[in-house]
Amino acid sequence: MVPELRVVDFGRVSALRSQTLWHALAYGVSAGGPPTLSFMRPSRAYVGLGYHRRLEEADLDACREAGLPVFRRMVGGGVVYLDEHQQFFQICLPFGSVPRSREQALRQLLSPAVAAFRAAGVPAALDDDLEIVVGEAKVCGHGAAQIEEAVVVVGNLMERFDHTAAARVLALPDEVRAEVARLMERFVIATPADSAAFRAAAVTEYGRALGLEPVAGQLSASERARLHELDRRDRSPAWLRGPQRPDSHCSQVKVRAGVHVVWTEQEGRRALATVVHGHIERMQVSDPGLDGALTAALAKARLVV
Amino acid sequence: MGEIAEVAGFGVALDRAYDPAGHFWVSMLTAERARIGMDALGVETSGTIAQLAFLPVGGNLKRGDAFGSLEAAKFVGPLTSPLSGRVTATNDAVVADPALVERDPYGAGWLVELTLADPAELRELVSGADVIPVWFAAEVEDYRLKGVLAE
Repeated sequence: MVPELRVVDFGRVSALRSQTLWHALAYGVSAGGPPTLSFMRPSRAYVGLGYHRRLEEADLDACREAGLPVFRRMVGGGVVYLDEHQQFFQICLPFGSVPRSREQALRQLLSPAVAAFRAAGVPAALDDDLEIVVGEAKVCGHGAAQIEEAVVVVGNLMERFDHTAAARVLALPDEVRAEVARLMERFVIATPADSAAFRAAAVTEYGRALGLEPVAGQLSASERARLHELDRRDRSPAWLRGPQRPDSHCSQVKVRAGVHVVWTEQEGRRALATVVHGHIERMQVSDPGLDGALTAALAKARLVV
Repeated sequence: MGEIAEVAGFGVALDRAYDPAGHFWVSMLTAERARIGMDALGVETSGTIAQLAFLPVGGNLKRGDAFGSLEAAKFVGPLTSPLSGRVTATNDAVVADPALVERDPYGAGWLVELTLADPAELRELVSGADVIPVWFAAEVEDYRLKGVLAE
């Protein structure tokens, strides 16, 4: 008998539950539940914070003004803007069934999603930086984590993407934010595909790639109990604050893998550089005295080849 | 630091013990105090390390508990302790510059220090200058066979 791939489509859920549901599934898989593919869509916009990121990397005043709640997730990455125009998906497997190499694990668990994008009419590919792309633009925000004895990889199909809102929630100087917004327009794009077709293809492709039989399922009783704990945890200030982190002075921001804005500030003056795949594509240095400082910032960031 | 031997293309320090489960090394600073870091194979399979975070000093751990977390390629995972004990120090330098773990895994790239709760657990680790290279070479071979490492 072919082992089962539990498929759970939660449909439209609250912003909070669009995070806590898949975390609950991960704890369930860790405790011996079946490999699980899940889907959901948040009913409203919010901001997600990567596990290791400082809360101050989100512009909390801007989030408050826009009425956007902020939730910390257990997967990696930065501050991201999420909304109802994004179809979320998550694949969750026992830790022992996933390659030890993070790169290999991501490649294995993102490839079926790429096939699903393609089946839904999006000419997507997985590039060398492990981004799902069309051309040079990322079309899927992904992250991954080992949660106890489970590995989960999450991603989204962006039917629309509000670049202005996404840049606005980042705690950045205005000049830097403007450059990030400009780069997002080029390097992060929506793919308005049929989300039902994408979900159906993802079920087929993950089942085929993993050698599992897709079977519609739901949360177990223990996962439901864990869900309520996670709802409380994710609303707590302590969880939102996150692990203790040093102040990195945040002198670089990533738009997608290989695309960064690096900047330096001295006595109210600022210089910034846009680095695309190892090359400085653009520099804004208003004061020649900042040349050296910007060069030092670029060297520290190790982004220029 | 003692001798770093080259084994199957990786550097391996021979003056310490290794936890085969997580590919962490343990170096005894005193009879009860140990320094822990990641070995070259652990570093290789992690990929480019973007973030590290540790439990606060004073935290108590059982063997296999997470003493911190690591992020590479937006993939977050626990750093699992090879021994039980209390965290007495964490390496701020690697938190500020995670690449230090890749540049100098057996030296400046150490992760945490523990006061051991049960020194008998040391017997579970791989140690000895004659044993470590054999064990490590077998691990590399196993990873290559499984396709975790390129040939």
